[in-house]
Amino acid sequence: MMLARVADSLYWIGRYVERAEHMARLSDVMLTATLDRTEAATEVARIALAAVGDTEPEKALAPFKATQALVLDREDHGSIATSLARARENARQVRDQITTETWERLNLVHFRMTDPNAGRVFRDGSQAFLHDIIADLHLFKGAADATMSHGEGWRFLLLGVYLERAQLIGALLEVCFGDGKRKPITDHFALTSVLRMACALEPYLRVYTADMQPRFILEFLLLDEDFPRSLRFCTDRIEEHLAVIARNVEPGHANPERVAGRLRARLQYADMEEIQAQGASAFISGVLDECAAIHRMVYETFVAYPLEQRLPA
Amino acid sequence: MVPRDLVLCAPSYRREMQNLYVPHGAYANVCGSDLIRQPDGTFAVLEDNLRVPSGVSYMLANREAAKRVFPGVFRGAGVRSIDRYPDLLLSTLKGMAADWRPNPQVVVLTPGVYNSAYFEHAYLARLMGAPLVEGRDLVVHDNMVYMRTTTGLRRIDVIYRRVDDDFIDPLTFRRDSGLGSAGLFNAYRAGNVVICNAPGTGVADDKAVYAYVPEIIRYYLGEDPILPNIETFLCREPAQLSHVLANLDKLVVKAVGASGGYGMLIGPHSTRAERAEFADALKADPANYIAQPTIQLSTAPCLIDSAIEPRHVDLRPFILSGEKIAVTPGALTRVALRRGSLVVNSSQGGRLEGHLGHRRRP
Repeated sequence: MMLARVADSLYWIGRYVERAEHMARLSDVMLTATLDRTEAATEVARIALAAVGDTEPEKALAPFKATQALVLDREDHGSIATSLARARENARQVRDQITTETWERLNLVHFRMTDPNAGRVFRDGSQAFLHDIIADLHLFKGAADATMSHGEGWRFLLLGVYLERAQLIGALLEVCFGDGKRKPITDHFALTSVLRMACALEPYLRVYTADMQPRFILEFLLLDEDFPRSLRFCTDRIEEHLAVIARNVEPGHANPERVAGRLRARLQYADMEEIQAQGASAFISGVLDECAAIHRMVYETFVAYPLEQRLPA
Repeated sequence: MVPRDLVLCAPSYRREMQNLYVPHGAYANVCGSDLIRQPDGTFAVLEDNLRVPSGVSYMLANREAAKRVFPGVFRGAGVRSIDRYPDLLLSTLKGMAADWRPNPQVVVLTPGVYNSAYFEHAYLARLMGAPLVEGRDLVVHDNMVYMRTTTGLRRIDVIYRRVDDDFIDPLTFRRDSGLGSAGLFNAYRAGNVVICNAPGTGVADDKAVYAYVPEIIRYYLGEDPILPNIETFLCREPAQLSHVLANLDKLVVKAVGASGGYGMLIGPHSTRAERAEFADALKADPANYIAQPTIQLSTAPCLIDSAIEPRHVDLRPFILSGEKIAVTPGALTRVALRRGSLVVNSSQGGRLEGHLGHRRRP
């Protein structure tokens, strides 16, 4: 049992933290890639920007400026600065529900971002700055895992993390493998960069070796059972957490755990041949739609439920 | 014994509380009285805070910090532990619930993160293991109070509210309040939920009522007060008013309903113009003022800009009352940061320190 408002805040902490981490990684890969002025580098910048919903082609030609805005711009709703500010704001609302260790980690990232010198630090060493943010957020998740009770609150936090991750990786895959109009990515460098954006390069190499095939990459990021950023892995966790959270809700409500279970099964028993025959784009957007539906149903079931249904008779 | 109009006309008087009896007759479950040490070394009560006294979390958090910084001081000094405060508070609150509710649900009601005492609300909720709720989490149905949880509505028995009387229920008190819950007060009157402290306890914070406290103790308890009051002149009495007007430059004049160190005149530190202004105000509305001799508060050495300097302090112990009364063996020391200032209030930039309660020698 926990307050609906608290569950809501924890869920959003998870989402914002995951979003910030993903953005930081995309920015890092983009900056590193574009240190060489090659055709492939511009392609990488285009992919990274498109994956965060920015499709203006000229931005990909000025990657430093684009990342600077993506990281530090407080006006921008999608920037890392905004995501982290919101994560901390939510955490402050539920300060009594998260352990001091967990709160401290998030507060430290917040101080790093709001430091008056943050702009200069980013200019002088962008990669180091982004690397530190990612490391901080890993520490946050580690502290949450190691010190919080693995009860309902923790599950809402992780539900947010995995739902956000599924949607972010889904969006990245859609950009890379979905769009039929653009010519498929074949360049070796661009493909490794895509794997880096999903933090998947080393785990991929261990499974498929250095053989960079778009088909293998798609398969790995969609269907791998053990890699924590594959869609299948994310939906496994989403279902697992939802099933426990929904255990104590009276029957008759919307059924997010059922939708989550169906989505998990779809990814578990998917066949790569079929996906390709059907078109990866359709498959990925189907998964993304289901994720959006789960988000909606989580709200209807646990957070913003109509009072009339729950009043004692 | 206490003039009727003094209570009935107090701004914090709540007519809505008439004929309402609370469990154990405990209206002020948490009370923080401000004590000072007089020049002769005896302690006296400066002020009572029964409405929603704050600061206890600073006492607890400062103690933790002090232990980390000065472990040596603690080792030798025989300091008594204050760790039990959250536990005592929780059992006091649980004891206020109706007998037939076996495992009462206690919550802390906060105005939200933008309140200056939010840290304290969250801190106490965390240490008590009670949910920290806001007005928007509460639902009143059939005179029962519920909170919105992930698994539906859950009944609440005791609300430790850190929201002022005026804001707890827009139907009963201020209509524009979004901090409380509509119908909460009716549920309270129906006996289905207990609000701690009870609404209207602010009457006792009134500085004119303060003057009557020793008499109240003698009359109702038949015993002498252990801690004396500061000598207080009630300007509502014509004889005392003329004494006050004649000695404005020696006295401290306070508005009775004001708090936070506002609306007061410190005679010896005032200018002629300020005194004239207060004299006019006194004549216009004498009942609104009291006066006390200027007391030299005791000082404690404080670290100010890397030098040790004396600053005036007062002491706020916390008293819990429900089925039983408990006083925590420690207190909050508040410091007047400006040199020579006699106004000690956290709303005016006072700093807070923990105070160590020593074990009395047998």
